[in-house]
Amino acid sequence: MSLIKIALAGEGGQGVQSVAEIIAEAAYEAGKQTIYIPNFGLEQRGGVSIAFIQVSDRRIGAPKFNKADVVIALSERAVGRTAEYSDKNTLFVYDCGFAVPPEDFPKEAKKIIAIPAIDTANNELHPRVFNIIIMGAVIGLTNVVTFEAAKAALEHKLGYKFEKDPKLRELNFKAMEIGKKLGEESLSKEGVC
Amino acid sequence: MEKVFSEAKKAFMTGNETAAWAALAAGAEVMFGYPITPQNEIMHYWTRMAPKYDRGFLQTEDEISAGFTVCGSVQSGKKAFTATAGPGNVLMQEPFGMAEGMRLPLLAIIQQRGGPSSGTVVYSQQEVTLTTFGGNGEGHRIVYSTATHQEIYDYIIKGFNTAWTYRFPTFILGDGYQAKMREPLELYSPEDKGIKMVEPYPLIGLPGHIGEDREPKHLCNIYSLEEELYEVVMKISAEYEAISPELTEYQERECDDAEIIIVSHGVVSRAADDAVTALRAQGLKVGCFRPITLRPFPAQELKNCIQKSGAKKLLIAESAYGQLFRLVRQEIYGETVPMETLFMPGVGIIDYDIMSKIKSML
Repeated sequence: MSLIKIALAGEGGQGVQSVAEIIAEAAYEAGKQTIYIPNFGLEQRGGVSIAFIQVSDRRIGAPKFNKADVVIALSERAVGRTAEYSDKNTLFVYDCGFAVPPEDFPKEAKKIIAIPAIDTANNELHPRVFNIIIMGAVIGLTNVVTFEAAKAALEHKLGYKFEKDPKLRELNFKAMEIGKKLGEESLSKEGVC
Repeated sequence: MEKVFSEAKKAFMTGNETAAWAALAAGAEVMFGYPITPQNEIMHYWTRMAPKYDRGFLQTEDEISAGFTVCGSVQSGKKAFTATAGPGNVLMQEPFGMAEGMRLPLLAIIQQRGGPSSGTVVYSQQEVTLTTFGGNGEGHRIVYSTATHQEIYDYIIKGFNTAWTYRFPTFILGDGYQAKMREPLELYSPEDKGIKMVEPYPLIGLPGHIGEDREPKHLCNIYSLEEELYEVVMKISAEYEAISPELTEYQERECDDAEIIIVSHGVVSRAADDAVTALRAQGLKVGCFRPITLRPFPAQELKNCIQKSGAKKLLIAESAYGQLFRLVRQEIYGETVPMETLFMPGVGIIDYDIMSKIKSML
């Protein structure tokens, strides 16, 4: 696997950093070289929270990057905030439900993709698994880790909650599966809204 | 002291957590500290683990106090350390100076943040001058600049031994990126790698009657006579210079035939390394040199590198506005190779930045 660079961005409380951590741990457990770093400046306190993930078979250089292979913006203002990480090789992903001013979209992208993650979470699953749908979408878009590895990492992270309420496990795994499908479908179509 | 790891163990964690584990594995007995981003989690993890391993912690009223408390603690024979960043590093210069003057085996972990002043809480390489030559002394310090989590772990273990062997204040110089990012590393107990930890020992309050059984121990930080201080500083200088050759550490790559040598340290050296790989693949003769010890600086090694390659240019790349550059310039005085610079104070440098700069130099 050559280097894959992912930027996840959203509002505090959306679980951006948790998802990034789970993906990074899954990649690490699969024997990959992995770096994960959150932005943690003062902007984070009330600003857009960004997670930078890099996965490779080889030793990884600098902890941050200028341009990502995949950018996922989980809020309206995260779209404008992360546009700078997109270039002609970038898959730029956002949610169908966002009303994004046209000037906020990146000037360059391989493809700009809208997926109905929020709607799916709210209507088909549960609002709290929105971030897990996104995690599934990252996997569907990049194959950065296998579905099984991601499940194991999720179990590792949330196992103590799943033990108390096994339905949660089911809900999370289903969210990840749906997310993965959304990610895969969006690659072949012009968005799946 | 209880062994922390019964066998080597792979881990995926932040640099701050790595630092706390390293101090624990190295047998550190107590940490004194005061919170400041981005090093807070060193304290957090240490306070979480310390009670389980019968180690101590004290949060002092500020960084000046934290530094002086380490100075006191090591005199009583405790393997003590602290960690700080930015303005905290500024405040600690007074105790760090005391450690230089009294030859105290103090260990401090510095996670550089942006400056001047409170700057940013994020990242920089702007504490190089402060960490190497801060204080009102002569920079008699040992400073390791790490680039990976494995190095944070390895050099903290090594740093305690350096401090207790040579009795010069020793610094592990990281940065906010290294502090906060997660990457894989191996945790181990030093003895399993054949590393013998130097046992701490009291510097004062020794057994026996002064004048009968032993000579008095004079650990002074102030002298009445100019001549007295002069002798002390000259003695310390001579000892520092004598041990420097065995302490300097560096890495070089592809320097033999390099037309341009990139000089960088810490986390930026990772980008330099990637840039060399990419530029070599394009047929460009580029190499890189990385001082691991910024004090003492591997001056002769860098000079050798320049001479054997016949390099036409050096590129100094750093996340600061010339702090490494000034250090390099003074250390290789006499070399006439032209130097160009890539100064990006307070922001990260990636391979692309270095490659673009190199191409503009051709």
